[in-house]
Amino acid sequence: MPTSAPPPSNYPTRSEDLIGRLNSVHIPCEAKLKALRELKNQIIGNRTKKIAFLKLGAVPSLVSILSSAVAENGGNLEFNEPVIIQSAAAIGSFACGLDAGVNAVLDAGAFPLLFGLVSHPNEKIVDACARSLKLIYQSKLAPKYNFLLEKNMDFLLSLLNSKNENVTGLGASIITHSCHTSLEQETLSEAGVIKKLISLLGGSLIQRDASLESLGAIIKENPVVVSKFMGPVNGRALNVVTELTKDRYPQTRLLACMCLILIRNASTCYLQDAGIKTKLILILLELIDDPGQVGDEAPFVLSSLIAEKEDLQKIAFDSNIVDKLCNHLEKGSLQAKSLQGIFLALADLCSKLECCRDRFLSLKAFNFLTDVLTHDSPEVRTAACICLKNISRSVKNLSAGHFMNEVVIVPLVQLLHDTCTSVQIAALGAISNIVVDFTEHKSTFIHCGGVKQLVQLLKSMDPTIRFNAMWALKNLIFLVNSMCKEEILLELSPSILISLICDPETSVQEQALALVRNLVDGAIDSVEYVFSEEGLLLNAIGRQLQSASKVEVLIQGMYVLNNVASGNEFHKEAVMNLLFPHAGSDTQTILIKFMQSTDSRLRTASVWALVNLTLTSSPGANSRVMKLQRAGIVSQLKNMANDPCLDVKLRAKTALGQSMMFVDPSMGKFVFTC
Amino acid sequence: MGIKKVITKEDWEERLDYVKVRKEDMNRLVMNFLFTEGYVEAAESFRLESWTAPDIDLATIAVLMGVNKAVQSGRVEDAMEKVNDFNPEILDTNPQLFFHLQQQRLIELIRNGKVFEALEFAQKELAPIGEENQSILEELERTVSLLAFEDVTRCPVGELLDVSQRMKTACEVNAAILTSQSHEKGLNLGAFVPGNTDAISEDALETLCWLISPYFFFNSRRTIATLLFITKKIYF
Repeated sequence: MPTSAPPPSNYPTRSEDLIGRLNSVHIPCEAKLKALRELKNQIIGNRTKKIAFLKLGAVPSLVSILSSAVAENGGNLEFNEPVIIQSAAAIGSFACGLDAGVNAVLDAGAFPLLFGLVSHPNEKIVDACARSLKLIYQSKLAPKYNFLLEKNMDFLLSLLNSKNENVTGLGASIITHSCHTSLEQETLSEAGVIKKLISLLGGSLIQRDASLESLGAIIKENPVVVSKFMGPVNGRALNVVTELTKDRYPQTRLLACMCLILIRNASTCYLQDAGIKTKLILILLELIDDPGQVGDEAPFVLSSLIAEKEDLQKIAFDSNIVDKLCNHLEKGSLQAKSLQGIFLALADLCSKLECCRDRFLSLKAFNFLTDVLTHDSPEVRTAACICLKNISRSVKNLSAGHFMNEVVIVPLVQLLHDTCTSVQIAALGAISNIVVDFTEHKSTFIHCGGVKQLVQLLKSMDPTIRFNAMWALKNLIFLVNSMCKEEILLELSPSILISLICDPETSVQEQALALVRNLVDGAIDSVEYVFSEEGLLLNAIGRQLQSASKVEVLIQGMYVLNNVASGNEFHKEAVMNLLFPHAGSDTQTILIKFMQSTDSRLRTASVWALVNLTLTSSPGANSRVMKLQRAGIVSQLKNMANDPCLDVKLRAKTALGQSMMFVDPSMGKFVFTC
Repeated sequence: MGIKKVITKEDWEERLDYVKVRKEDMNRLVMNFLFTEGYVEAAESFRLESWTAPDIDLATIAVLMGVNKAVQSGRVEDAMEKVNDFNPEILDTNPQLFFHLQQQRLIELIRNGKVFEALEFAQKELAPIGEENQSILEELERTVSLLAFEDVTRCPVGELLDVSQRMKTACEVNAAILTSQSHEKGLNLGAFVPGNTDAISEDALETLCWLISPYFFFNSRRTIATLLFITKKIYF
């Protein structure tokens, strides 16, 4: 029986009453203005109130009031202009930091209204509207500004040329929001925007910061624009920006550093000397300690400086950055953004340098890492996994089995079925390294349900996930003991492998074949695996070798055959049948093609297989060599005796030597026929 | 980056002794200090009496005075409205400041014995902020605990009811208004006294005494010179 809900209250809440007054056509102007101010004052700074008023339809009411006031145009001046100011300010506040608010404001049609008012004679109206538009442009949801239209560019330039600080700020925020492609960057540069922004760097704090951000958007990853920026037309632009790295305001220092880093990264001609590297690192190190938003953002900027750059990572390490970042972790109760930044920076530091990984582990900061694997924020979880992946590149610690324990593995396996794809992929990356464990602890991973999860992910629709899951399994199987192998094979059926060997993505095919290569490596009975399901797996591999074009796929396939060919007679014959499917036909065997490949890795793999196939101690070697001789393989081997690649040369000589035993009895008295 | 210059303590003090301190510079220093530390009325009087041109425009001075007066008299809502009229972005983009002002509103309600209104205010206005922002949760809990005590003056967090708390809030608003106009935050003595605003005020007050002392003792001249150097009014 449904229970009856309490009867709705007949008395409107204060908020509803306020909206009622705004919407009413009968109330006098003063009351309406009062209601507007009241609404504005209630929502500024108060996210909960904003959401509540949004639900009551405050924004369309505001926009309609604004548009009527604008339409009246001069009528009731005493109230019109204040009404415009208050409603514009309230609209701006709804858009401030609230996506739902931005959507409501855009849907209600406020955008063109506000833009129209930016050139109003009343300075206060211009201020209110420019501010509100700027707040809208701080959201990704704002409509993209098309710089390529001439009239748009002219309008933008007029904004940047204004004497009003809020209007120039609006111009800058439009650029920061909408400038993405290199064409847009170049168009802005051609129009003289860079010069304008540089002149604003000498203005007030707000103008400086806004200009720095916009400059960043224009020069990002664009060497052409960077050289324009550094060129004579823009004066001593670099000096101005460099000076700002010493400014008293931390936000300005951070933005200036960001600009210099963007210049450095875009073009290898500039800012490459040791002095500037050290200076940037030291400034950023100090900014990391800033208590506010700057402290949260600084690690991200540091990452952009040091990512992939070992020399900078070394300088940072020498300045004790690992200690500093770990100290921040120890402080505890950090916001998600802050944690994400710190872990990403640590990940960059530990990406190549063993000293950083050592330092991190010695500081007992590893506990923080395993703790945040279960953090609420997916960005933090992703950052932690990437950090873990990089730290586990430490062969020393990997060999000592420091990562293969339940504290690490259990949360990682949990993350394999995380709701967020990027977390799953990052976790797979970490697992891929950790399972390369050289001790006998791989069973820990299996017993924590890791294999089950990985196999599940092999069925994912997302090719990146399939690829990474396959990589992790491949590493797990590498040199694993037979007991663990059995346990893995319980979950990993041949049919799954077959479908992945024939995956639409060649990168997945490659990993699948590499996995099989690792699988059949080892004892003879491992080789038997490819013959299961009546040899379907082996046939699939054979088919791939015939049809695939990506050389990495072919290489892995050949190594599988190579490992199979290291088995017994039956195995060797099976490989021969695969390589020479049409007995007596004229079709050139794929093996010749591989041996003639321009890629030395493929030539090496092919020759290795021949070494195993022509092994003189095997009973059937004689007939195999004859077959190879007829197919022209032996002649090809002779050509390869002088291969430029040493690996190929040595194996070819071995294979040739073995073959010659059978082909030319006069070569030696050692003809094995048993 | 240039070569790092190293100056010994003795060298430094000798240089300080030779600095000529101009009266205009000193006046401006004093006046800016008074404004930024929240002694707005004193600053305005000083400005008028010494004919010093302010670095801050008159509109901002008027707002500063209005806001300060409101906060010091406990009319926080009034102060917030003035700030919003001046620049609606300030409170919208400064969650810490907004929280402290709301907190001050609660304190004023409790001070006036309006317990039920205080409870309602805490529930409706403050609790949601706590949910959004974990870092202020602790401060929020401290403030709300005021409601638990019958005799608020004798509770552990009783200092929140002190007028110095009003001063603290007023200083914070001050700084935000000045930053929004991109004026220098003042002497920024905070850079040398890390920690809470109280420590800054004490130290700054001490410095102020030296500054306005008509007797230019050896030490105070050095202090003035150092301060002028810090605020980039003179270069060595």
